[in-house]
Amino acid sequence: MGGQCCPQTRPIRYAELHCLSNFTFLRGASHPRDLIAQAAALGYTALALTDECSVSGIVRAHVAAKDLGLKLIVGSELRLACGLKLVALAADRHGYGRLCRLITRARRAAAKGAYHLTRTDLDDLDHCFILWLPGEPPCAAEARWLAQRFPGEVWIAVELLRGGADRERLETLRRIGRETGLPLVAGGDVHMHVRARRRLQDALTAIRHNVPIAQAGARLYPNGERYLRERERLGRLYPRELLDETVSIARRCVFCLDELRYEYPRELVPPGETPGTHLRKLTEEGVRRRWPQGIPPAERAALEHELALIAELGYEPYFLTVHDIVAFARRRGILCQGRGSAANSRVCYCLGVTAVDPQRGAQLMFERFISKERNEPPDIDIDFEHERREEVIQYVYDKYGRERTAIAATVIMYRPRSALRDLGKAFGLDAERCARLAGALQWWDGGNVLTQRLREAGFDPADPVLARLLPLAHELIAFPGFPRHLSQHVGGFVISAGRLDELVPVENAAMAGRTVVQWDKDDLDALGLLKVDLLALGMLTALRKAFELIERFRGTRHALGALPAEDRRVYEMISRADTVGVFQIESRAQMAMLPRLRPKEYYDLVIEVAIVRPGPIQGDMVHPYLRRRQGHEAVSYPSEAVKDVLSRTLGVPIFQEQVMRLAVVAAGFTPGEADQLRRAMGAWKRTGGIGHLRAQLLRGMAARGYSEEFAQRIYQQMMGFADYGFPEAHAASFALLAYDSAWLKCYEPAAFTAALLNSQPMGFYAPAQLVRDARAHGVQVRPVSVSESDWDCTLEPAADGAPALRLGLRLVKGLRSNGAARLLEARRQRAFAGVQDLARRAGLTRGDLEALAAAGALAALSGNRHFAFWDVAGTERPLPLERPAAVAAQAAGADTAQPLPLLTAPTEGQSIVADYASLGLTLGRHPLALLRGALHGAQLRGAGDILRLEQGAWVRVAGIVLMRQRPPAANGVTFLTLEDETGQVNVIVWERVGEQYRRALIDSRLLEVHGRLQREEGVAHLVARRLIDRSALLGKLLTRSRDFH
Amino acid sequence: MRAQKSADLFAPDAPQRTAQAVPLAPVPPHRSAAPAAAPPARCAELWLGVRVLADAEQPHAAQKILPALRRLATLAQRLTPRVALAPPDGLLLEVKGSLHLFGGADGLRGEMDAACAHCGLRGTLALAPTPLAALSAARAGRPLVVLDSAQLIGRLSPLPLTALRWPPGLLDRLACIGVRTIGQALRLPRAGFAHRFGAAQLKDLDRLTGHASDPRERFEGRMRFRRRRELSFELASRTALLGELGPLLGELERFLAARQCGVLTLECRLWHRGRPPSRTVLRLAAPLADAARLAQLLGERLGTLSLPAPVHACELRSGLPVPRGLSSGELWQPGEHGGSAAAGSLELIERLRARLGSEAVHGLACVQDHRPEAAWGATEPGACPGEGSGACRGVASRPLWLLPSPRRLTERGRLPRYRGGLRLASEPERIETGGWDGAEVARDYYIGLDTHGRRLWLFRERNPPHHWYLHGVFG
Repeated sequence: MGGQCCPQTRPIRYAELHCLSNFTFLRGASHPRDLIAQAAALGYTALALTDECSVSGIVRAHVAAKDLGLKLIVGSELRLACGLKLVALAADRHGYGRLCRLITRARRAAAKGAYHLTRTDLDDLDHCFILWLPGEPPCAAEARWLAQRFPGEVWIAVELLRGGADRERLETLRRIGRETGLPLVAGGDVHMHVRARRRLQDALTAIRHNVPIAQAGARLYPNGERYLRERERLGRLYPRELLDETVSIARRCVFCLDELRYEYPRELVPPGETPGTHLRKLTEEGVRRRWPQGIPPAERAALEHELALIAELGYEPYFLTVHDIVAFARRRGILCQGRGSAANSRVCYCLGVTAVDPQRGAQLMFERFISKERNEPPDIDIDFEHERREEVIQYVYDKYGRERTAIAATVIMYRPRSALRDLGKAFGLDAERCARLAGALQWWDGGNVLTQRLREAGFDPADPVLARLLPLAHELIAFPGFPRHLSQHVGGFVISAGRLDELVPVENAAMAGRTVVQWDKDDLDALGLLKVDLLALGMLTALRKAFELIERFRGTRHALGALPAEDRRVYEMISRADTVGVFQIESRAQMAMLPRLRPKEYYDLVIEVAIVRPGPIQGDMVHPYLRRRQGHEAVSYPSEAVKDVLSRTLGVPIFQEQVMRLAVVAAGFTPGEADQLRRAMGAWKRTGGIGHLRAQLLRGMAARGYSEEFAQRIYQQMMGFADYGFPEAHAASFALLAYDSAWLKCYEPAAFTAALLNSQPMGFYAPAQLVRDARAHGVQVRPVSVSESDWDCTLEPAADGAPALRLGLRLVKGLRSNGAARLLEARRQRAFAGVQDLARRAGLTRGDLEALAAAGALAALSGNRHFAFWDVAGTERPLPLERPAAVAAQAAGADTAQPLPLLTAPTEGQSIVADYASLGLTLGRHPLALLRGALHGAQLRGAGDILRLEQGAWVRVAGIVLMRQRPPAANGVTFLTLEDETGQVNVIVWERVGEQYRRALIDSRLLEVHGRLQREEGVAHLVARRLIDRSALLGKLLTRSRDFH
Repeated sequence: MRAQKSADLFAPDAPQRTAQAVPLAPVPPHRSAAPAAAPPARCAELWLGVRVLADAEQPHAAQKILPALRRLATLAQRLTPRVALAPPDGLLLEVKGSLHLFGGADGLRGEMDAACAHCGLRGTLALAPTPLAALSAARAGRPLVVLDSAQLIGRLSPLPLTALRWPPGLLDRLACIGVRTIGQALRLPRAGFAHRFGAAQLKDLDRLTGHASDPRERFEGRMRFRRRRELSFELASRTALLGELGPLLGELERFLAARQCGVLTLECRLWHRGRPPSRTVLRLAAPLADAARLAQLLGERLGTLSLPAPVHACELRSGLPVPRGLSSGELWQPGEHGGSAAAGSLELIERLRARLGSEAVHGLACVQDHRPEAAWGATEPGACPGEGSGACRGVASRPLWLLPSPRRLTERGRLPRYRGGLRLASEPERIETGGWDGAEVARDYYIGLDTHGRRLWLFRERNPPHHWYLHGVFG
């Protein structure tokens, strides 16, 4: 407007000191990266990211700011319980530490997601600059208190947001400034990087308050001024000196996140030793254990190289930490195994972190996780038995103390489902419509909301509400994701030498007693903080249990990694794809590959584990590899250097390490650059390319004389790896477990199945399939019984001396473990005379008894389920004062005195329904055996017949849907596994057919499929043309498919 | 299809299917015209059980089912004095005495079917010697006709236990021992059954078979007032009409007094010869039973009603009577010292509404919304202002008078004009919001002074072409 038009020749300079990102969950509407980019584009001098009581977004901002050369200030907006609001900006490293401690204290004092602060909490805060955020109307007493508490470090933030009374407010604050002697500074209360995010910000506000936007009223901001405004615009609004003040504050904030120096825990080194000498001592002990005859010279040289690299980078304490945790697990008899290239180093082999013999495991690339250039810490994942990982975690907490240990965070981002559900609510859709809208995006639809889906779900795509809602949904779903809340990482532990809360704030996790840092895995990586992944692996539990079962039954003791190696029968079994229950190679994709790849030795398993992954499949490595392996295609290499890298996979890159190694030897990358390439590959889909690295790669290969065609192919293969490349270092560890579990399945099927059942839930198959498979392999399986079963599944000698599998009480749905424990205790004293006796002596609740009756576990006492329920319904619990003798006498009488009722026996179908409902499996006939007459009538074949048919035969089959899979790499193809009483059949549903019969595909429990048989190297698939839902035939039978995607 | 049959393999209710063989009616329809031909009932009592379903085509049918059931009960009182409600969906009639009056079982059923249809319901009817048996059969969807006590158990046996409406948990437990029909339950040992499933359930089975008495509470008549009065001669004068309505209003007052109730709505219909009736509906702010007050209000209403022809009959129909908060009369008149104004203002509202129509009178309330035009809303008069939406914000400079819709202003030199040039007297207040309901605004509001010094509320659109509007006038 008119008026203030005196031209200022000096350009306006400005630093935004009050800015929230979307890491202030459901308040900020822009990603830190966008804020930084916008601030840089607008020519701001600096930007302070001041998320509310959080620094969760700061690392992302830091990385972006470094790229763009913008100065980033670390701060946080805080609201005290008394209503006082302020922004604290870290002036230096010390101030940052204090700010982190303050945030930690505030977060720890409240439930997850909230915080609590009082004025006394601010006592420890120093080396920070305070911007007072005055309320409406401003309360001068707050200003006075702050001025007195933080002399010389407090400013009054003047935030002019065109509320209609900006001038008045400025005058009021000026007056308070004069009274208290506090200087004024401009601020923007920024919530978004551009004005266009206003609608999203409104929606987030409504979601945060859990009301529809239309009812959010004054909780919404009246306008969209809370964005990064152009400097000229600010110049018209604010007096110049207030803008200048921002720059002078920014100049005084000298802290940068790069200053954070992480120190490893020190206590693992005994007095008189250095970390280096101690690590060497432990390693040499391992050398003597691993190579009793003396270490070969090549191995010794490699070991020395590793130790030198570790010493150079100062990573000894990290290896000592990992060793300490693994040693603890060993002492406790908890199976564990490390993985990752650092884990598969010779040092780790000697330290016992892994059992993969580096010689057997081929040359793994130690440099991958220890990169000299990037100065990133090594990364070792350790898998523990899933049921006992908690013991390890407690050990870590005890050993290093809670103030030094916390779990890495995981930022939960909006997914299509959650975005639509939340936005639907905000736009006032009722719960049913919200659910329908969210449901319109079934799990495999990817992120695209298609009009067709909407129409199917009963929505009019032209509905104006949807037209307003969907663009916001896109903003929530789009890369790089819109954070919704913090959760805890599955097992990434951060351990520090000193107080962790001066490094990063720590807050409460949802799980009681767990604390998480405010940074996720990538943040920690970017800053070079140590993280040990303590993960849970069901197969390790199952293996230990199998070893124990075998030892109890036979007296032979087996150990992880010490089963008879390279057994021919085991590999033959694997080559037949007879691998239900075997670690990693049990999925149907793996089963389809096994007969083609026909593994003959350990390294084949390593390849098998890695090759059936989206990366190699999308990079089109699978078929070239198979052709070369079967001798249909010549193996050639463009150079010796390349041969070195690719010879063990016949010239086809399969592992992530190989791709990186190729970049090194063929394109002249340094290992550090190759590591950068790996990260870029991981993100290229979302960021849209690997940018300058591609040019460097092609140029490098051209310079080394490789043909354009070869270079392009390598590049394509690398792109195929994108998200899904699998490291050889992990495959090597997994292959060991795959071999061990396959050996057990081959030689000890009863023990193996029992162990798997006792470790549920885990793995790919439900108990019903595991038991069916065991019976198909000749294992005798005996039913759950109160007079025989233990809690776990156990082995009993069968007539021929072989172990028979007795199902355990743990399978009984609804039976509580303490009730079962009392039952077993009472049974040890003497056998049960009847249901009444059982109920009284074991003190079982009605619920426990009914669970047992439903499982058919009372058959020995009552007969069929109907009589079992009649008996259970007639039991009475003893009164507290009854004498045991009287009770016993009464019990003995009670079971016989009453007349027997006239009850019909359950039909076979009813028994099967009841078996499935309670145990999830039946030892009776397969449900489809009962329907076979009807199915034959409808001209449907059994799965067993189909496998004998010719290629291209037209087939109609019906089966229970065991599994649905929609791998992200499969271009919309869905894989189904159907089962009937004769076997299983694998069905491929192309996207078009899937679309046409979508409801049948998603909802069916019993599915009829018409299609053509396709045979390929011993693997048969049915390619579906038509799908029909036949679930009605199953009546009340409870079957549930396992859906993967 | 065979496949359909095999579904029964897994179905828990397989035995029920055989029950389809039960004959639906023992009496062939064509004989029902001759009542004498109906077989005599060999039982002490005979109950007609009715299970009603709402007609699915009607909107909100499910909620209306209970009122409809009461209407049906009222109609059923024509058939027998012994009518009992069995909520939520049942009705029982003891019909032994009236069987011969209505053409036997079939005749009765025909009457009842018609009554159901009249009430917008679909009914399933069953006849049996005990009320619970009749009701259960109807609820099981089986139109049984059992006239002989000796046949009762045999005929009931195939019915599913669910018809007894026992708690689902109990039915599940019975299903667990394979008992799903009434017959299977009746075969269980009595003591064992009572011990396991409860004495109340045993009692139910006894009532079902007539081994225990089953008294039913009798349904009492209509609840709404509805009277019509034929006039001795046709009238066109409204005053005279009001006089003729007097006796009806007196009756209404007595009707309501007996129930200690008042009405909230009262419909008056005036019948003309050869034309549809004129009607007017009084809506009251509080339950009222006083004939004089009602006459007064009706009088106001009739004054505004245009009558197309003389009236030959009048009719009053009340809404559902609601309990009246009885209070002792006030000592002071409203407005007098100590008298409360509330009753008086309520009366004023009622009179205004009676004269202007219910929609023309409403209260005002603040609504929390940054958009000025959305920041207020109409409420029911008498509702507490500001209730629910929270207190009105102390918004800076809002005019008391907001135009119904903003008026576009001409401009000269980027400044607006309204009967002369306007001067902007404030800094802008920016309002940008409303993206969620399609009425998005993006405006900068100013206070403008016109040449007479009046303070006007103006805004300029933030989006091109940046027009100016007048939105309100300050007092």
